[in-house]
Amino acid sequence: MKESDTQVVAGRDDVASAVSAAREAIAEATSLDALDQVRSSHLGKRSVLAAVQRTLGGLSADARRALGAAINAARAELADLEAARRVALEAERDAVVLAEEAVDVTLPARIPRRGSLHPVHETTEAIVDVLVGLGYKVLDGPEVETDWHNFTALNSPPDHPAKSLSDTIYVQPLTADARPTPDGTTGILLRPQTSPGQIRVMHEQPPPLYIVIPGQVYRADTADATHLPMFHQIEGLAIDTALSFTDLKGTVAEFARAILGPDTELRFVPDHFPFTEPSAQLLARYDGGWMELLGCGMVHPNVLRAGGYDPEAVRGFAWGLGVDRMAMLRHGVTDMRQFVDNDMRFLASFA
Amino acid sequence: MRVPLSWLAEYVDPGLSVDELADVMTAGGLVVEAIQYPTGAVRGVRVAEVRNIAPIEGSDMLSLVDVFDGEAEHRVVCGAGNFSVDDRVALAVPGAELPGGMRIDERRIMGHMSRGMLASGRELAISDDHRGILVLDDDAPLGADLRSWLQLDDPVYDIEVTPDRGYLLSILGVARDIAALTGAELRVPEIVPADAGCRVPVTIEDTDRCRRFEVRTIDGVAVGPSPAWLQRRLTAAGMRPVSNVVDATNAVMLEIGNPIHAYDEALLAGPELIVRTARPGERLRTLDGVDRELDAEDLLICDAKGPVALAGVMGGEHSEINDETTTIALEVANFSPRTVLRTVRRHQLVTQGSMRWERMVPPESVPLAASRCAELICQIAGGTTTGGSDHYPNPPEHRPITLRPARAAAYLGIDVGPGQQGRLLERIGCEVTHDGQHLAVTRPPYRPDLTDEVDLYEEIARIHGYERVPETLPSTGQVGGRLPEHGAQIRVREALAGAGWYEILTEPFITADDLVVLGWDDDDRRRQPIALVNPLSQEAGVLRTSLLPNLVRVARHNANRQVPAAAMFEVARAYLPPTDDDPGAAGGPEDVLLPAEPLLLGLVGYGPFDAARHDRPARMIDIFDLIGACQLLARRLGRPALVPSATDQTPFHPGRAAQLSFEGRVIGVVGELHPRIVGTLELPARTVAGELRLAPLLSGGVVHPQVTEPSPLPGLRFDVAVVTDEAIEASAVEHAVRAGAGPDVTAVTLFDVYRGDALGEGKRSLAYHIALDNAERQLSDRDEAAAIDRIERIVAEQVGGRLRR
Repeated sequence: MKESDTQVVAGRDDVASAVSAAREAIAEATSLDALDQVRSSHLGKRSVLAAVQRTLGGLSADARRALGAAINAARAELADLEAARRVALEAERDAVVLAEEAVDVTLPARIPRRGSLHPVHETTEAIVDVLVGLGYKVLDGPEVETDWHNFTALNSPPDHPAKSLSDTIYVQPLTADARPTPDGTTGILLRPQTSPGQIRVMHEQPPPLYIVIPGQVYRADTADATHLPMFHQIEGLAIDTALSFTDLKGTVAEFARAILGPDTELRFVPDHFPFTEPSAQLLARYDGGWMELLGCGMVHPNVLRAGGYDPEAVRGFAWGLGVDRMAMLRHGVTDMRQFVDNDMRFLASFA
Repeated sequence: MRVPLSWLAEYVDPGLSVDELADVMTAGGLVVEAIQYPTGAVRGVRVAEVRNIAPIEGSDMLSLVDVFDGEAEHRVVCGAGNFSVDDRVALAVPGAELPGGMRIDERRIMGHMSRGMLASGRELAISDDHRGILVLDDDAPLGADLRSWLQLDDPVYDIEVTPDRGYLLSILGVARDIAALTGAELRVPEIVPADAGCRVPVTIEDTDRCRRFEVRTIDGVAVGPSPAWLQRRLTAAGMRPVSNVVDATNAVMLEIGNPIHAYDEALLAGPELIVRTARPGERLRTLDGVDRELDAEDLLICDAKGPVALAGVMGGEHSEINDETTTIALEVANFSPRTVLRTVRRHQLVTQGSMRWERMVPPESVPLAASRCAELICQIAGGTTTGGSDHYPNPPEHRPITLRPARAAAYLGIDVGPGQQGRLLERIGCEVTHDGQHLAVTRPPYRPDLTDEVDLYEEIARIHGYERVPETLPSTGQVGGRLPEHGAQIRVREALAGAGWYEILTEPFITADDLVVLGWDDDDRRRQPIALVNPLSQEAGVLRTSLLPNLVRVARHNANRQVPAAAMFEVARAYLPPTDDDPGAAGGPEDVLLPAEPLLLGLVGYGPFDAARHDRPARMIDIFDLIGACQLLARRLGRPALVPSATDQTPFHPGRAAQLSFEGRVIGVVGELHPRIVGTLELPARTVAGELRLAPLLSGGVVHPQVTEPSPLPGLRFDVAVVTDEAIEASAVEHAVRAGAGPDVTAVTLFDVYRGDALGEGKRSLAYHIALDNAERQLSDRDEAAAIDRIERIVAEQVGGRLRR
């Protein structure tokens, strides 16, 4: 046996025992620090493998190749083992750290602070949206109105019961020389309906008109669960050259279905308002009974005249809807007074 | 109007079920609000005859009564004394049920077994009489179930009557409409005309207000209770039975619609009845016992001595029908609605009669009502008609209305030809003649509401059937939408709601004192509220000129209910005397002066704006939440930031209030309320509030934001700290820092405010993050140094400050 062969055999034995020791050390390393230690002592510069490697320079080419191959194989094997062990130890360490960092996800979250819109206003806008979708333009009018706009121009008879102090809230005249009438009325009042807006828009615009007037209205009513002295209406008005009663019925029915749902059962029955003829009311099936949804009718020729329109040239229809009751239905409110009580806990329901 | 079906069925019987008939009525505009069975619960009550009445020893009230029901005798204990042997009475046997859920059992009373009970009118819900038991007519068959004998399962329709259809305030009127709607036959009673002569002459002085007056005299009546069937009907229809004569007048009013008054003729002074207006100083004690001072406008019925009735409203007490009455004079007249309405309002006296006059009773209904009433009185109170005369000086002429059938069809949008239209109108009693292309339509006398061509359109549609009218949806031919200001207002409200503020809704009524408390000067426009004529309460006497009174009231209301925190806003109008700059709406032909109605935003809050959490302490609401809310809405509207400046105006804390300016004009004030006012108004400590005018911000709607494109090059980020006198406002310091930072500045953010001994007395340090960006040129350290030097110089010049280096 040549000397170099002997060295190769001895070297191989050294490598084999070094690999075996390293395998054991890697397997036994229980922390990443220990593994670093193992790596430097078994694979580093002072390791047996490094020492064997340093002997290669003194060997024959063949011996160097043979022993070199053994060393490389050993290093590759140990590197894989070390890497695998490292992955395992890192996973263990991460598991511990992540476990320590765990939070109680059931703690109250930080919900961004939000307030709410008032349910009556929100309902108003939702209803107005439907009419905007049908092509109506939205307008408004003054809440303090004249008797003329609210009653006379709307074809109310001079002795109409709604004109009495027990129905309508009157305002003291703003001019010092104005005289009150014997019955206490003053010719200036808080509008009890949005309808005077019809007259104002007719004075301002020529036909055709397709408009909607949402607004606050007032009556001399004591507040109870279903009445407030201040409430909300949405007035619709359509005036054109060839509108008919069927157009009225179709419009209010379509509108009602858009608000209450497409399968809502409706009834269209005769009613009376001084400012419309024929007049009707739309009833909707609700909760086993029939609920009055809105009053409507073909605009009375006298109203068109008061608005400065020619009733032989144009005609149209109008309707008025109470918003507050719709808002009650929408949100399950059982007492209308909640709407003006403004308890934060009530309002917070809508946030 | 309450309509018992049995009563209606005497006039028309369309052969429909109870519900089907309700359906027909509702569809025809006689909207049925409810169907009731006021006596429907009566079970086990039968007709019995009194055989024997024996007193019970030891009791003044009770007696032992033996009654016979045709099969057996029953012994009951009874507390009433209004009957005698042979009377027919209502016997409730053990097991019987009465309205209101009352059950009859055998009971021992004062040692005697009572096998049932003799029922009163009230116990049967037939009348409200509980003074004695119900005594039935002699012809009531022994043993008959009271339920069928008195039609106790009679349904009552409660019909909503619109003001134009006064004719529906009568059974006959309802029957007429049902006949028209269903084609069923209408049975109208025969009119027995008044005899030519009458011993009561009538003078009508005012023939405008009293258009017709028929008088009938009846002799030999015996006043007493009405028969049970009539009592039941009146009660079911909502009227209280009184006595047979009065009940007859009321029943005929309900039946025919024409109110009637009966006088005890013996109590009238002199033969003549005069219809005239009141004379100065005249008084009348009416049936309700009230002594009334009469107005010169009141229309009266008078005898030789003076007033005996307030025409159409209420009779006088003196000539009232009473138990001794034997001769009566019936007044069946017609009064103008206006007269009655005015008297009703003056005397605050609404009666079943006045309600009908107000809705136009036609003079043509007088003869039928008179005939029917005389007949009924003779039937139930004995007596004979001894005379009658009908005074009808100026019967009106009913002019036909011209109906253009083509226009009617187009107006209604339904396919009904002229012939069909005529036939529909004939069904409601109109006379129709064809006049070339048009129809000449004469209304029936009982329909004074039909005056215009469009009224006929409604009747055509109604009898044709509203429910048969098809639905068509017209094209509006335009794009719908809100006014720009309206859209902007919605955006404001949504922005505030999204930022943690709750929208409230208050009624606009306050008291003048609410404004005094806020401390504004007497000549302040907000101290000149517009007063209401008829406020709902003393606390609601004037219209608000500011949102603050209601805002603080709502805050207090919540605090009193232990609500720990509130942040609320309201967008609403105030009502101020108009000025040239702030006018009201147009006042119509009479040029009425209307108030200005500016739209305001109000804010109020107390307690923590951010509540305490496990991970964060509470933060109290303060003025910066208010200013921030206002800035948020300016930003959401695409407007430049509002400019706050300190103000010491009332009702605010002099050091914690800001007025907010927009385009150089102050539009509102926000801040902490003055501690004294917080105390006076019993508000939570440190309540904040404020209001601003929205019109300048909303005008023209939302402005679309214009972008500043971000620079692609890295910019400079550095901090500076500026030391100034405390008195220098932060806005001035920031302005100087910005100016010094130069044209490349993209952000100046205050991140620290520091006071300390090192700075010296009365000094503070404001520290800012500065960002400079330039899209064209890489900025360098030299740019930063130059900017800091400029800031140092300008801060010194503008605010007397120095940089902390």
